Amino acid sequence: MRQFFPVEDLARDERFVQTNMAERMKDGRTAIAVEKQSSAKSRGATKRLTPERHDASDAARGLMHGIMVGEIQALEGAGRTAHDFAAGDGTGDTVPFELKLDMARQAWDEARHVEISAKLSDWMGTELGEFAENTVLFEAACSNDPILRLAGVNRALEGLAIDVFTQMKEFGDVAGDPYLEFCEDWMLADEVTHVKMGSDWLRKVTANDPDRRTKALEFQQVVDKLFSFGGARGESAESSFSLAKRFRELAGFTDDEVETISAMDAEALEERKEAVRKYRERVGADA
Amino acid sequence: MGNGATDTHESTARAPFAPWDRRDIPGSFSVDETARRVGNYKWAEMKLFEALGGWVATVPELDVKMRLGTHCYHHAWHADLWHKRLPELREMKPERLTVPANEAMERFISAMTEPEAPELTIEKLVGVYRVLIPRFIAAYTYHRNNTSEITDAPTIRSINFILQDEFDDWRDGEMLLQSLVTTPEHVRRAADHQAKLEAIMVEAGGITGADSIGTGETSSTEGGA
Amino acid sequence: MTAATTPASTAKVTVAPAEFTFVAYDAAEIAEIVAELAQQLEIANPIRVIVDETTPLAKVYEEVDAATSDATITLHAESGALEDRKHPMSFSADTARESLGRILLRANDRMRPDFSDAPGDLDLTLEQNAAWDTYCAGRLARMGVSVNQQRWRYNHRNRFGFHDDVDAHFDQLWAASDLGWSAIAG
Repeated sequence: MRQFFPVEDLARDERFVQTNMAERMKDGRTAIAVEKQSSAKSRGATKRLTPERHDASDAARGLMHGIMVGEIQALEGAGRTAHDFAAGDGTGDTVPFELKLDMARQAWDEARHVEISAKLSDWMGTELGEFAENTVLFEAACSNDPILRLAGVNRALEGLAIDVFTQMKEFGDVAGDPYLEFCEDWMLADEVTHVKMGSDWLRKVTANDPDRRTKALEFQQVVDKLFSFGGARGESAESSFSLAKRFRELAGFTDDEVETISAMDAEALEERKEAVRKYRERVGADA
Repeated sequence: MGNGATDTHESTARAPFAPWDRRDIPGSFSVDETARRVGNYKWAEMKLFEALGGWVATVPELDVKMRLGTHCYHHAWHADLWHKRLPELREMKPERLTVPANEAMERFISAMTEPEAPELTIEKLVGVYRVLIPRFIAAYTYHRNNTSEITDAPTIRSINFILQDEFDDWRDGEMLLQSLVTTPEHVRRAADHQAKLEAIMVEAGGITGADSIGTGETSSTEGGA
Repeated sequence: MTAATTPASTAKVTVAPAEFTFVAYDAAEIAEIVAELAQQLEIANPIRVIVDETTPLAKVYEEVDAATSDATITLHAESGALEDRKHPMSFSADTARESLGRILLRANDRMRPDFSDAPGDLDLTLEQNAAWDTYCAGRLARMGVSVNQQRWRYNHRNRFGFHDDVDAHFDQLWAASDLGWSAIAG
């Protein structure tokens, strides 16, 4: 087996179709108001994922499918990190033995999350592979430096999971769904653990290597911004889900870190609007 | 017993072993031999959890993918139990004894982990569930039945927990295999790969070498009261 | 605009835009699908389909300018309603059939006298919308269009609650075929 596994080779059955951020960003459409005003007759003008949205059920189904494929990739990422690096003192491409154990534990947790998500998909009437799968999540787990993987996966990706699960949990609670809130809450507990794993190991392994730590935190910021998905995460009503500040705090994110992510989300939203505007000018279409 | 007890005071003196407690001292393995075996177990469990974790991304079948992730943790936990046991057996640097039993055992793991392509799920599962895990079950059972029940109780306790996982995982894997092997061609592939790996395992003698289950060359000294 | 007329029906279907910029949709293909649905439902009214390709969302709604057989039916669809969800920006005939079929059924319902007091689509409450969707989705499924019943059951539960009596309500609407507005609105 190769030491490192490329994202293009992720094994899927024929139901799944994969895409990536580059493809996604080619989409000139947007649900965000770029130039025109929202229609006065528009049902549910907020984009926030709440039962009040006119398309609440389908939006929740789409997000749930995204969660499921995200969990599959998180499982694959954790499994690869358990495999790819020999046990050692953490220098070079070795990792402490206990870090490998934590990755194996995370693989188990993510496998459970796939199981939960598959059951919820059934409950919500979603077929496996019904939506395209964005592989950006596994891509954050592909670095040859295990510390960058921790930064990308355990802090950025699992941080995103905390945000999304919190939104879905609230959605389930308001809608009175007996399974959705229950399941999201259990998964949320695991994600807080995973973020803490990432924070603790990042700190320990780079204790004597400040350059490596800086690089890891920079990488984490890049991934955090990617995982804003062009402003889909943010504090604005134009975003589907927000930063789950309380749970992030429990997981060890500092106030400064949360504020930085929030600012990046807002920046990502504006960048997306600008990109869409430019695309529309280029193709000469009416906004 | 000499404290001038009155007729109404009952004696609390009891034999140290209750009549139903038939555990005894003698065991086949010294501390050093136990540490050697535990080091081999740890090495093999590590290789197994690494393989299972690495294979998750390579198998397209969703149920297999999830099972591999779950089993990855089981064997990582076993490796951790052995990692913690080694210092208790006077090995303060566990990595020193975390080694394969012999060169053939290394070759076995190499051959077992060689299939990577997405269409080779049968081969991946055969290596683990029809060759390696049965060997684990055999080695652990032999060890549990032959070590001192009193002096080596911590090893026995770990083995009991581990064996529960090994049997459960073996069953999971075997059922997955039975659901995947559905044509004569599948049968041939499974049998060929199993034969190839078994031949190397026979060379290795087992997880801890020739004396893995007591049928090869004895390398331990008898312990006893 | 692009037009289609089915051989055994006089329903004339036009689609706007005639050329798509943001998505790889074909107006003629959309028109053909709507014409086939109209034929199955024996709708002869002229039909206009307006696709908003600037948004990936999937809102659909219909308007009928009068309850007469020559009234124009307008079907509005955001591009996500016709999209192949596995291949963003690509068209899915199945998804289009399901989305447009649902609102074509609504438009057809509106032309019945017992729907005269039904609010416009954009004025429906979330519950009214969900109930009508259930009623339409059930009929579409019986017409042979690919419909995921559990998806609509989940939608119904989200609006009305996760209880056995809500499921019973869903089952009734799903199986029904000749309801007036008051039976749907409850």
